[in-house]
Amino acid sequence: MDRNIVARNNVTIKGKGSQPILFAPGFGCDQSVWSMVSKSFEQDYQVILFDYVGMGKSDLGAFDYDKYSTLDGYVQDVLDICSALALKDVILVGHSVGSMIGMLASLRQPDYFSSLIMIGPSPCYLNHPPDYFGGFEKEELFGLIDMMDKNYIGWANAFASTITNDAEHPEVAEALEDRFCSTDPVIARRFAETCFFADNRKELPKVTLSTLILQCAEDVIAPTVVGDYMHQQLPESTIRYMKARGHCPHMSHPDETVELMHNYLEERKSEKIGGLT
Amino acid sequence: MDEQLNQAPCGFLTLSTEGAIVSMNEMLLRLLGYRRDELVGQHINVILSNSARVFFQLYFIPMVTQKGFVEEMYLSLATNHQSEEIPILLNASMNESSRHKLIDCAFLPMQRRNDYEDQLLLANKVAKDALNKKQIALEELEAKQDQLIKINKQNQNELQLAKKIQETSLTDAFTNDRMQVESYYKASKELSGDIYGFYQINNHQYGVILLDVMGHGISSALVTMSLQSLYQKVIPKGMKPASVMKELDSHLHYLFHNDEEAWHYCTAIYLFIDTEKHTIEYINSGHPPAIYHDKNGRQEELCATNPPLGTFEGIKYNSKTIRYAEGSRLLLYTDGVSELIGYNYLQDLLMKSRNAVSQMKEEILLELNQKENSYYQKDDQCFILIDLK
Repeated sequence: MDRNIVARNNVTIKGKGSQPILFAPGFGCDQSVWSMVSKSFEQDYQVILFDYVGMGKSDLGAFDYDKYSTLDGYVQDVLDICSALALKDVILVGHSVGSMIGMLASLRQPDYFSSLIMIGPSPCYLNHPPDYFGGFEKEELFGLIDMMDKNYIGWANAFASTITNDAEHPEVAEALEDRFCSTDPVIARRFAETCFFADNRKELPKVTLSTLILQCAEDVIAPTVVGDYMHQQLPESTIRYMKARGHCPHMSHPDETVELMHNYLEERKSEKIGGLT
Repeated sequence: MDEQLNQAPCGFLTLSTEGAIVSMNEMLLRLLGYRRDELVGQHINVILSNSARVFFQLYFIPMVTQKGFVEEMYLSLATNHQSEEIPILLNASMNESSRHKLIDCAFLPMQRRNDYEDQLLLANKVAKDALNKKQIALEELEAKQDQLIKINKQNQNELQLAKKIQETSLTDAFTNDRMQVESYYKASKELSGDIYGFYQINNHQYGVILLDVMGHGISSALVTMSLQSLYQKVIPKGMKPASVMKELDSHLHYLFHNDEEAWHYCTAIYLFIDTEKHTIEYINSGHPPAIYHDKNGRQEELCATNPPLGTFEGIKYNSKTIRYAEGSRLLLYTDGVSELIGYNYLQDLLMKSRNAVSQMKEEILLELNQKENSYYQKDDQCFILIDLK
């Protein structure tokens, strides 16, 4: 096991099962967003959680401004983790942009993965009339980035992360243990620009894995029309429309989210058995 | 909701965990221009600006769900009919006391503070942009400098090669039973505006020439090379000094005919030495006087007989002739030498020194070196010492 990658991406491994299930968070927050969902998989699966470089308790020193200027940098994080843990046939669960990062990872190394579960995915947030409605005009995304600039969520850490390089003051690092959504503003801004202006529509038809799309109701970030587009473009996909409203059903409606995921995985299992007989 | 909270000087709102509006105070309704029944049951998105809707999903929901509270979140609210955006600060906490979990939110409008922050951010951006531009300019400058250094190095190499070529065109020191010749040649830059040559015409006649083209450096050096290629042809033929000088003068006029910008003139002295007749026939075209010194200590100056070459067209060149005694000595030099160590020094040296010409050359060099250390050398240096045996 490559301890460097494990430390770099703050990889956490739980669960009693052997089938790996890897949870890729969306924009902004760390792996603890999964806490209410991942628990129910610990009985039967090997649950793997991680933070992207720059988020949560990852190694901020490993943040490379150029590498993470495209989603490929984050895709590489996922592939590094699979390789470090020698994972195969992983079920990748991604939220929001995490589902796109997972999908791109599966295109680069299909052997690592067996299926994709996408929660609130969008291949492209910008509108491209007349054929594609992503939900946003460019100005609105810039407005969002401006709003991030005016929210000092990561400011304390931006300051503290420079102090914590000092090995003589470990107590400062301890005080910061809980980062959650607070990210260095420079890193957060970079991630935001990378995520919000990505366009992966052309990749969708190339996906070979079986995919589940969990589509929330009234999701302003990934509207239903985008979920339908995904479903239509992905060769082997299932879409489930959730009762949950908003963009974070894994947090606001963990029960419904877990149930839909389990149902899908059960179906997959019986399909496989069916196929063998 | 109690009346105090209803009228409190801040917006107050209760949300379901999904973000649906459960209740709100009067203050917030007034701020946004809605009636209560227009908002209750609606999603909070209704009162958020487009950017704020996304931000709310990205940060507010995860934070309040996970941590149970949100502090100092900046959002912008949209008033009724989307007529206006109101920047606000939001604090929220998860209220788990009631049957359903509810999120309590308090809003404070912050229009003026927001304007101020906008200006701060703008100033910050301007400063960053300026810093970036400076960095880029600096990098460009460094690249240009590297380029210049490279070009300069190429030029230096070229000049070194040219220097070699120029020095190759100089004739070597020689000695026989009639005379001994020593010379010294040093450019102020890589290339020199001085040039000289000595030729044995036959077994008793010799030609010695020294030229100093105005200026120094590349252009002067090119002129010296042009003149050199001419005199090395005409002198060995045994042409008289007047003819040699006429040729060189005409050549300069021909080169710079109607071209004032390129025009160069040159001072020159040419000696035609006959060892049978013991005569020196010479022409001095504006050059510093050569010094003749006989073994009895008598000195004679071979002063200018004509203006410099390339100045006036159609000049008639008349030579002068002196007789020399055996054991006499001649010193020819350019002004780069005499201006540095002085004409008198040269005169005295010839007078005092009984050394061979090779040693005398070293003495002059020593003096030149000493003077060079105290003055900035700016002209080419060249001299010729001849022992007439």
